Amino acid sequence: MDLVESYRQDLALARTPVTRALLAALLVALAMFPWVAAEHFVFLATLVALYSIGVMGQNILIGYTGQISFGQAGFLAIGAFAFGHLRIWGAPFLVALVAAGGVAALAGVVVGFPSLRLKGPYLAIATLGFGVAVYQIFVNWEVLSGGRSGLAITKLSPMFGLSGRRYEYYLYVLLLVGFTLATYNLISSYVGRAFAAIRDSDIAAEVNGVNLTRYKLLAFAISSFYTGVHGALYAQVLGHIEPQIFNIAEAITLFVAVIIGGVASVEGSILGAAFVLLVPKVFADFREMVPIVYGVTILIVLIFEPLGLYGRWLKARLYFQLWPFR
Amino acid sequence: MRLKVTALILALLLATAAPALAQKTPGVTDTEIAIGLTTPLSGVAAAWGNTAVAMEAWAEHVNAQSGIHGRQLKVTVKDDGYVPGRAVANLTEMKDSVLMNVGLLGSAVLNAAKDFSSENKFPVINPYGNPAIWARQPRERLRYVFVNYPDYVDEGEFLVTQAARLVGAKKVAVFYQNDDYGKGGLEGVRRGVKVLGGKVALAAEVPVEVTDRELGTHALKLKDSGADAVILYPTITHGVNVVKEMAKVGYRPKIFASFPLGDHLIMFRLLGKEWEGAHYNVLGAIAGEPDADRIIDLVTKIRPGLKGKENTALAGAAAMIIAVEGLKRAGRSLTRESLVEGMESIKNFTAEKLTAPITFGPNRRHGLNAVRLMRAESADSNKVAQVAGYQIFQPHF
Repeated sequence: MDLVESYRQDLALARTPVTRALLAALLVALAMFPWVAAEHFVFLATLVALYSIGVMGQNILIGYTGQISFGQAGFLAIGAFAFGHLRIWGAPFLVALVAAGGVAALAGVVVGFPSLRLKGPYLAIATLGFGVAVYQIFVNWEVLSGGRSGLAITKLSPMFGLSGRRYEYYLYVLLLVGFTLATYNLISSYVGRAFAAIRDSDIAAEVNGVNLTRYKLLAFAISSFYTGVHGALYAQVLGHIEPQIFNIAEAITLFVAVIIGGVASVEGSILGAAFVLLVPKVFADFREMVPIVYGVTILIVLIFEPLGLYGRWLKARLYFQLWPFR
Repeated sequence: MRLKVTALILALLLATAAPALAQKTPGVTDTEIAIGLTTPLSGVAAAWGNTAVAMEAWAEHVNAQSGIHGRQLKVTVKDDGYVPGRAVANLTEMKDSVLMNVGLLGSAVLNAAKDFSSENKFPVINPYGNPAIWARQPRERLRYVFVNYPDYVDEGEFLVTQAARLVGAKKVAVFYQNDDYGKGGLEGVRRGVKVLGGKVALAAEVPVEVTDRELGTHALKLKDSGADAVILYPTITHGVNVVKEMAKVGYRPKIFASFPLGDHLIMFRLLGKEWEGAHYNVLGAIAGEPDADRIIDLVTKIRPGLKGKENTALAGAAAMIIAVEGLKRAGRSLTRESLVEGMESIKNFTAEKLTAPITFGPNRRHGLNAVRLMRAESADSNKVAQVAGYQIFQPHF
């Protein structure tokens, strides 16, 4: 029986030896993956890793803080173009990555101000407007977007004798692990509790001493940082960016990933990212039926699993914990 | 002892056979040639996915004629939804199982995939999208790429020159999509106005976003410019809408349109008599011309779903005809290198008379940079007329 006896145990990432063993097995599987899987699966896994970071950021804002945002395409674009320019100016990958996240976080704070007065659908529309505005700025301001030809981004030089694809995979998975740990820590901390309190009732949260201005802006900043990093990593993978890539469809894809994966769930963010990328890919041979199959799959998941894929994972875990009893 | 000798011989055989096995050409067997397509069958550009359907149809036609050097063509089509990441994923998935790609579509997709071809020594035949993407690449990275797409800037210059020559336009306005395509056209028009040296003034530049729906204000801006000719660089939807809106406000300038608006069947269906008198470019033969109708008959019999999309089908069929020519010239010993050599040997090839002459070579990968100017005559009879034969611009790479 998984009996929690202390707050420290409650916060632990892996409490039992079995969980620790499974976690280790997962890490080993991730390390082995590029050596046993075909190259296109490695590329897909790389995409899933970078999307997971963006979905996690979106989940911090929507799932944990309850602030509905459709402006993610704007933060993606800001992160991607900031990263692109920095790389062109010769900044090392990690420096450009952190700076891209930082610039997106600053933009997040700016967008966050209206959130202090807006809620629910009104906030969603305001953030949607931000996404559209950013798109227009990049389209019309060619100094930022690189003009007609967009921005070409230098490929990473692989190290340790790895091929380009494998190197990119390891780097991105490592970053995903880092962001996953950071997110777990964040949601377990005072800040995370404050976010959840705001989501459940902002008035009650304020009465209990949560500074709404500070924490709502912080949620926007952190979420935008994640999304900016997502944009930067996407830019690096594609090797080229132009404003058309960051349209409203991208914001909707991220939103769908949060809902399908599971609101307010770190694991759900990864599952959601995998879903939105892999389902269209798996059904790519269905040709023009892909959007229908994709849409029906979303419906089926939400009808049978309102908590998203994370809900299904919880049930599966419970089943094995209670086995052979039901 | 005998066992040891046998083992030694086997080991030697394996050692000599291994490189041969490793060098096997992806997608080529004794009986089959696999071709991998990734195209937008869903999403905003899904209509263009019909090019891939026509490519499949032409491949089936070739197979019915006993294939190429005894091999049948096997075409795999994957949907990328016009999303660059998905297109690259599809290419990565197919690169070890198909010989080549034909008809990669969309400038954003081409930009994301531009290094893929050289990094994987993977032939990309007839990509549809801004050729400037390839022109910017170092020459050595273009070995496996063969392009037949017109340059937007060259076309824009040509259109404004024709507006001055044919209808005596003194003031022109440009209605353009605010992206790579539209801005390329605008740049060409500006260049043309400069070349014309004061004979024509550029009265207005009116951008449109792909997401715009209401074009009344755009039409009024064009009207206020007083331009006697309007040059169109939008999608079909926006082109149709703006012509309708201009008519609503009583403004009927001479129209000169870029080749994406070159499907007269669609334009007549959507605009009727309002399209009559419009000048527009096409890339090759069009429905209603004997050479084109012969190909349309063939592909629509194999894929009846292409009926009503005849001009898009022609674009797809032409791409596959060019690829098939490269395969024929590569010979029976087919590898990616022999395919490149086969493609390089193509000279003045007109793809079953669907295109202007295409020429590739060891130092030439832009095989064709051409348009053909047409005039819409009658909506009732779908009648159009050729104004000028193929206008062939200089290749860019």
